[in-house]
Amino acid sequence: MSASSQDNALRSGIAWRVLIYSVLIVTAVIYLAPLFVMLVTSLKSLEEIRMGNMMALPLQITFEPWLKAWGSACLGLDCNGISGYFWNSLKITVPAVAIGTLLGAFNGYVLTKWRFRGHQWVFGMMLFACFIPFQIVLLPMSQVLGWLGLANTTSGLVLVHVVYGLGFTTLFFRNFYEAFPDELIRASVMDGAGFFTIFGRILLPNSGPIIVVTVIWQFTNIWNDFLFGASFASGDTAPITVALNNLVNSSTGVKEYNVHMAAAITAALPTLLVYVVAGRYFVRGLMAGSVKG
Amino acid sequence: MSFLNIENVNKHYFDVEVLKSINIEINKGDFLVLVGPSGCGKSTLLNMIAGLDEISGGDISIDGQSMAGVHPSKRDIAMVFQSYALYPNMSVAKNISFGLEMRKVPKVERDKAVQKVAKMLQMEQLLDRKPSQLSGGQRQRVAMGRALVREPRVFLFDEPLSNLDAKLRVDMRTEIKQLHQRLGATIVYVTHDQIEAMTLATKIAVMNAGIVQQFGSPEEIYDNPVNTFVAGFMGSPSMNLIQAKVCKVEDKLCFEVATADQDRPLLLPIERDQQALVSYLNRNVTLGLRPETITDPGSANRSEGQIHEADLMVKVTEPTGADMFVVTQLGGTEVVARMRSRCGALAGQSCRFAFDVSRNLAFDGDTGDRIQ
Repeated sequence: MSASSQDNALRSGIAWRVLIYSVLIVTAVIYLAPLFVMLVTSLKSLEEIRMGNMMALPLQITFEPWLKAWGSACLGLDCNGISGYFWNSLKITVPAVAIGTLLGAFNGYVLTKWRFRGHQWVFGMMLFACFIPFQIVLLPMSQVLGWLGLANTTSGLVLVHVVYGLGFTTLFFRNFYEAFPDELIRASVMDGAGFFTIFGRILLPNSGPIIVVTVIWQFTNIWNDFLFGASFASGDTAPITVALNNLVNSSTGVKEYNVHMAAAITAALPTLLVYVVAGRYFVRGLMAGSVKG
Repeated sequence: MSFLNIENVNKHYFDVEVLKSINIEINKGDFLVLVGPSGCGKSTLLNMIAGLDEISGGDISIDGQSMAGVHPSKRDIAMVFQSYALYPNMSVAKNISFGLEMRKVPKVERDKAVQKVAKMLQMEQLLDRKPSQLSGGQRQRVAMGRALVREPRVFLFDEPLSNLDAKLRVDMRTEIKQLHQRLGATIVYVTHDQIEAMTLATKIAVMNAGIVQQFGSPEEIYDNPVNTFVAGFMGSPSMNLIQAKVCKVEDKLCFEVATADQDRPLLLPIERDQQALVSYLNRNVTLGLRPETITDPGSANRSEGQIHEADLMVKVTEPTGADMFVVTQLGGTEVVARMRSRCGALAGQSCRFAFDVSRNLAFDGDTGDRIQ
């Protein structure tokens, strides 16, 4: 009897498994379908696209659209592709992420380990920054950028993203450092380490998970930003998101879907790469710092 | 002249007073243990010696030099923390030498000092490991090494053994004691474990509610506690504190203690502090009896003590192997006696108890202060 019931248990276990996996596979297919369409379209020639079947694999694989998107596609009157804007985005994102993360870490350090009167208020106000919609800061920000002489510059956009991201990075690091043992700080004070030495030698080297979380969060947000880029940068200093929009909206000649798709994938690649490289730390870090995603 | 002098030290956070006029003096080479229940302010006092907490009033001086306004790292003291507080990102060797590096000691000397300490604590093979790769006892050892390498004037230990399992705790306790004897170092040690306090200390300060209840050698604290708190806190099993009445029987002062049999109270002759107790005649006092002063008649120490025997009902027996703790009812509470393991006491039966009345202590029934 026991053998047969065990058999049943096994069989129903397998049935469950089949069900779960089929649901998972179907969802994955639905989720990945747009990417698949983008990928195959970017590898087809325009004639082949006109034949109609979006889902069909390319009869003849061509990298021509990729090269064109990168180097010679026309955005308005300028026909140098999106490569310049890709570098623009990098020049904005990398410094903004680095500075924002470092400042956030520093804020978190001071707010948890060097408490001062009213530290909760300061933190509360910084948290407020997380809830302010992008649109609200547009006008004041452009005013400030004008005063600083940073309008329409890469450094201006870096500043915007650092300031806007500071609320989030501070939140991440504060929550992480809240759980960081005070005794370690006390031990290093007794060892003779100063304010900055403790930060650089004790705190930062032990912040791996939360640094990864912050970097991924900031990188995706800043790289994918369109509104600030469209508002505060124009022409040559625009980031890739803005360039992509300009490319797709260029109304001269035929719509080159394959070039558009290639450009779109290119624009999405860096964030994908960051997830692939550091993604497994992301979940771990979210748990470790008990940070809301 | 005293080496570490804690003079009239106060501490309050806003309106809450956590330490009230603490006065402690110890000499060079003393092992001071601050012992008390959690929340009594002992760790705060230690942090104030370290300079990690500010003093609200009074002064702490080391070797005649006031520590007011002196940064923790400039006080020439080292501290071992309860959680060990090892830097997780650094190897054991780095952990030990970090303090020296901060003091700008050249690398060659640093390495030499690390080797010396590693040898002393027998952990040369651990130097390249990270703290996460160490066991609890090994981490403890590294934390001690980090303190030792600096060769400070005073060592501070903040409940260093409380995270270890029972067996390891005893081993490390012995090791700390040996270290103290070998180095002749001055140590301030915080614990809530009265056995650690008794075994390690040359001087004990028993603290409760922000006040030093008693300060003295372990023997003084154990044999002559100044109040019921100290009496009850020190010793394991703890001292029996029971209700008693001072009375006079045939011109002799006695403690009258209620027993399970209401008609036959136990009368224990008073052999100690008689003069002070005369004024308590016919009043209630708290009588303090250490378990080891109540034995079976066969193991009673008749050469040194004064033995008074009585038959009492046994409630429970707890054999520990070496001894047997026998519980009876006296003065409305349970009283533990320490007998030989083969004394023959059985629960629910009557048994002969031997009281060493020369070691009985009396405390004021209201204030809990010792009557002497």
